[in-house]
Amino acid sequence: MNLNESKLVLEIEALKNSFIKTTDKLIKDVKRQDKIMLRSDKRQQKEYDELQIKLQEVEELKKEIEATQREVVFTMGSIGESRSKETGFHVKRVAEYTYILAKYYGLPEEECEMLKQASPMHDIGKVAIPDIVLNKPGRFNDEERLIMDTHAQLGYDMLKYSQRKLIKMAATVAYEHHEKYNGKGYPNQIAGEDIHIYGRITALADVFDALGSTRVYKDAWDDEKIFKMFKEERGEHFDPKLIDIFFEHLDEFLLVRDMMKDIQV
Amino acid sequence: MENIKLPATQYTPEIILDVNGTISLVGKSYPENTFEFYKLMMNWLEEYFENFVAEITTVNMEIIYFNSSSSKLFFDFFDLLEENSTENKIVINWIYDEENETAEEAGEDFIEDFESLKINLVTK
Repeated sequence: MNLNESKLVLEIEALKNSFIKTTDKLIKDVKRQDKIMLRSDKRQQKEYDELQIKLQEVEELKKEIEATQREVVFTMGSIGESRSKETGFHVKRVAEYTYILAKYYGLPEEECEMLKQASPMHDIGKVAIPDIVLNKPGRFNDEERLIMDTHAQLGYDMLKYSQRKLIKMAATVAYEHHEKYNGKGYPNQIAGEDIHIYGRITALADVFDALGSTRVYKDAWDDEKIFKMFKEERGEHFDPKLIDIFFEHLDEFLLVRDMMKDIQV
Repeated sequence: MENIKLPATQYTPEIILDVNGTISLVGKSYPENTFEFYKLMMNWLEEYFENFVAEITTVNMEIIYFNSSSSKLFFDFFDLLEENSTENKIVINWIYDEENETAEEAGEDFIEDFESLKINLVTK
């Protein structure tokens, strides 16, 4: 072998080594690539599974919170009811009436649904009215009437600090459900659309149900008498728009009344 | 050679590259263009090991989430560390939250693949 030949061989040997090194690296990379993909797939599968579980937990918590809120609100409504002279399904019917009124007034569905849940709390302030006044049989004298009337303010004061939308709404309902459209209601004698729509709606729903129900101290008014009074109070006690809605959709109100009748003892 | 400190973003970890020998990656890694994003770090490291290497290089990795291309990038990163580990002292801490099993397993995988590197599993 001459010198040139051996130099050439050396160069080829070097090339061969470098080629082997490069192919080794390529093989390593290819194998590694598979490994990376395999591991990544496994990892991502696990992570996505965990994510789904977490999401499901959040969903369930959300439902739980909403249900708890509904229950609290409903329980508070019942407490208010137990302290008032209304009985049986009064708050449930008021809830349904407020929903119908809100819907035809044009409030968004979500708000109608919320008002249906919040309106049963309208009398919650009565929990703070002394028994001697609250349970008095027969009519109140002026002084007792003044005490009774504080239940609107009292209810508002109980609920007003809440940050929850539903409870805030209930605070407004409690505060303004005895205001009258002509400004002769209480506690603030506000008038017209200065009374929040939630207050105006609940006022009508509450009165409609109270008049049509039998109480120990009074008979149920017959429908003709109620309708006559509602027509007279259009724009006086009640928002004229709501009275119009009431008569336009009377069948729906009467259906609710029929389906949620108090059980007569 | 300048130190580099990149703040974490929604998709990328905080990166600290200090000539005193501290390299740290903390956060999530799922950038849109992984190799582009880590180019700065990889270039810095090459220059560091060539010209400025400290007596001990400590690598702290606390990656809570990473995508497939980041995984590939980390392999390249560990390759680079491995190439330089014969002449330099390099300590790698793979830091993870006890509850993050995925991160723990990833750390174990790296230990298995890079036998010559000193990788410590460190729980937070």
